[in-house]
Amino acid sequence: MSSEARRDPGPGVAEDSGAGLLRPEFIRRLARLRVLARRRFAGTAGGARRSTRRGSSAEFADHRPYYPGDDTRRIDWNAYARLEELVLRLYVAEEDLCLYLFVDSSRSMGVGTPSKLHVAKRIAAALGYVALTGSERVSVVPFGAGIRRPLPPVRGKGKVGALLRHLDALEPDGATDLDQAVGEFLARRPRPGVVAVISDLLDPGGYQRPLERLGSARHEPAVFHVLDGAEVNPEAGGDLVLVDSESGSRVDVSLDARAIRAYRGRLTAFLEGAESWAKRRGVSYVRLFGEAAFEEALLEYLRGA
Amino acid sequence: MVQLLAPLQLLWFGLAVPLVLLYVLKRRRIEREVGSTLLWEQALRDLRAERPWKRLIPHLSLLLQLLVLAVGAIALARPVGVGGATAGARTAVVIDTSSSMAAFEGGVTRLDLALGVARSLARALPPGGDLMLIEAAAAPAVVAAPSGDATGLEAVLGRLRVRGGRADLEAAIDLAAERLRGAPAGSRIVVLTDSAMDGEIALDGRSAPVEVQRVGTDVPNDAIVAVDVRSRATDEHPDRADIFVRIHRFAGDPADVFVTASVGDETLASRRITVAANGAESVVLTADLPPGPDGRAPLVRVVLGRPDGVPDAFPLDDVAVVPSPAAGRLPVFLIGAPIPAVERVFRTDPEVELFATTLAALGAGTDGSDGLEGLDGLDGLLVFLGDTPPSPPSGDSLVVAPTGDAVFDLALGEERASPQIITWDENDPLLRFVELSDVHIGALRPIESPAARTLVSTDHGPAIVAISRAVGETTLVAFDPMASDWPRDPSFVVFFRNVIERARTRRAAGGIAPGAVGEALRVPVSAGQALEVTTPSGRTLSVTARGELAVVAVPAEAGVFEVRAGDQTLQPLLALRNHLDPEESDLRARARFVVGDREAVGATAAVERAESWPWFAGALILLLLFEMLWATRKGAVT
Repeated sequence: MSSEARRDPGPGVAEDSGAGLLRPEFIRRLARLRVLARRRFAGTAGGARRSTRRGSSAEFADHRPYYPGDDTRRIDWNAYARLEELVLRLYVAEEDLCLYLFVDSSRSMGVGTPSKLHVAKRIAAALGYVALTGSERVSVVPFGAGIRRPLPPVRGKGKVGALLRHLDALEPDGATDLDQAVGEFLARRPRPGVVAVISDLLDPGGYQRPLERLGSARHEPAVFHVLDGAEVNPEAGGDLVLVDSESGSRVDVSLDARAIRAYRGRLTAFLEGAESWAKRRGVSYVRLFGEAAFEEALLEYLRGA
Repeated sequence: MVQLLAPLQLLWFGLAVPLVLLYVLKRRRIEREVGSTLLWEQALRDLRAERPWKRLIPHLSLLLQLLVLAVGAIALARPVGVGGATAGARTAVVIDTSSSMAAFEGGVTRLDLALGVARSLARALPPGGDLMLIEAAAAPAVVAAPSGDATGLEAVLGRLRVRGGRADLEAAIDLAAERLRGAPAGSRIVVLTDSAMDGEIALDGRSAPVEVQRVGTDVPNDAIVAVDVRSRATDEHPDRADIFVRIHRFAGDPADVFVTASVGDETLASRRITVAANGAESVVLTADLPPGPDGRAPLVRVVLGRPDGVPDAFPLDDVAVVPSPAAGRLPVFLIGAPIPAVERVFRTDPEVELFATTLAALGAGTDGSDGLEGLDGLDGLLVFLGDTPPSPPSGDSLVVAPTGDAVFDLALGEERASPQIITWDENDPLLRFVELSDVHIGALRPIESPAARTLVSTDHGPAIVAISRAVGETTLVAFDPMASDWPRDPSFVVFFRNVIERARTRRAAGGIAPGAVGEALRVPVSAGQALEVTTPSGRTLSVTARGELAVVAVPAEAGVFEVRAGDQTLQPLLALRNHLDPEESDLRARARFVVGDREAVGATAAVERAESWPWFAGALILLLLFEMLWATRKGAVT
């Protein structure tokens, strides 16, 4: 884990988060953190993060034979003295990281008090803030049945306001199709980076395949699993018709103890399945139930970076 | 053609209405939007998988439930078809109506069970088939000619009653076989009996196969098999009597019983005894049995009871009624001024219970305005000395030395002095052994009436006449014996003894002879007279006599039957009916029905064909109801 000391969250950040996505005290806690990336990515500009490329930092990376045309200033003369062969010294490049905030803005994210989308926005805002203040490139990719109006990659602390405004403008709508959204995302050939998928994962098509596709495209997916408290602990409520917010399908159910017990069994299996799948694939998995505990869970994740 | 033995059971199908309603009416549910129903659908699939039954498509489920309901209802309606019965076959049903068929089992009598089977047979006749009913009583009788009319047959069955006494089952089977001679193939004789009789009956060699269906089971019974009341009079206790009762237990275990003797509402004595298994026990109860104020001998009622107070299966033999010894003595009531010679004759007769009273004491005036309540309460020979009531009383009466202008509705002539006896009817029972040739009468008031039978004639008119009526006979002696020399003649005593004997005989004949349970009452009445019979259980039967003797068929009840003829104010005649037949009191199956040298299958070992499948059909419907309620209960997951 590396951290960068920051005393001030930056001017205008709090007031730009019109929906109160980031509270000042939370911002202060985020200041020393940076986005976790388990592997290195090639950046587009110099940054504070080690790149897969060889650059001009002070950190030695490797030697390679000299070829005519190479910069003679990088010849390792000490090695030539020992080996009588011209080799060049290579140094690690330090470039920026691309963070893609995949925010699920389907209608299913609109339920809950506050809504799961609101929690997702706050997660995205926090991640984006940490990344922007860490000189990373941040892009917001809202998705439902496909990608909606994304925020192109931005960089620098000055873009925090734009990030928050873009997030704040998101509204729940449409169905969920993560696979379709990932397909559209990859079709744009984005630079590999960390893809933070913030979703309830309640996708009839499943979440495993699209996340695997991201990994195959040299991205590093990280899952932020958002669920509402009422979804985790439903209360007995007599005879109900449950209406799917996305498909509109109706399910008659009597919320008695048996039904709730069966639901909890399925929910537990779903959650444990997602967590174990992520563990097997080396994907970061953070579970966030409601707004109350999301800050701690997020901070714990970021501290692991 | 399929018939329904219990068509009312089809009402079960009415449950289809609420069943359909349960499908039509939707449960009111509250809508709630959730993010996704994905997990809920999976959870509900889990719940359905946990159910012990598979969920049906709703309409198929409804259809199946309706089918089950319909099948169940039809099954409960006991459909019967032609089955294996041969078309045109004739069935002769022999129904045992012996007294043991009055035994109760499960709240109904064995006869009821037999009638139920017979009704089933009547309703399930094959096409063209007919059925005849033969009652197996003491003398078998065809009570319903061969008929295919189930309604008519059921009406006949409804009139069948336990006759009392034994049943000649073999004769009834013979009669049935005789009537089935030449009947189409498939004809049969069905015998419905409790087999509670001794002996062996061969079923083979008849014109039609005989099928014996036994009704009832072996149930224990305690019975009064003998009862008697005998005088044990002493000078100190002239009315003391011993009541002998013999109790028999027809069961394989001993039991305690109470034997209680009573007269009217008064309990005379009661004793608890233990009767051994298949054994008998005698009880002697001692009591004083004085005649009642009306001169009647009391009737002793003996009742057998169990300590728990619950009657046994056969109540007919738990009651017996027997007259007291005083019933053999003729009560004679001397009414009016005493005539010493007459009183002496009656007093010297040991078989006479003599009472002396007056018309005034009895409340019967001579002015014709008063009734005969006092007189009609007297059961015996009424001897009017001098004054007479306006109309003759019921029963036998004797009028001696009448006064006034008339005796009852017969006019008295003027007094004639010294009449000479000319003739007398020696053939009349009243004048048997009476010789009047040496008798001289002081004064006579002759009776002239064509309705009167003249017994003794004088030269001044009839001196002694008799008037016969349906309810009794009145003898008139139209002179004062004390004003004649007749009391000194032996014929005087003989005449009055003849009157006493005549009255005693008529009283015995006029009363109704005791008999067995179910035996018809034979009541001497006038032709066309209406009779009203009150049974021991309080039921009333009305009969109109066709001849001089009315034969009243009575139900098989033990106790005292009261018979009133004509005027309801008259003293009723009493008839005693007791069940004292040990063979009929033994309710266990003992008859052996044999074919060849082996016991016939379906005879003693057979039981009534109880239709148990309706219970299963009922259970099917109840299960269906339970399933409906369970599947539609509040909180059920759909």
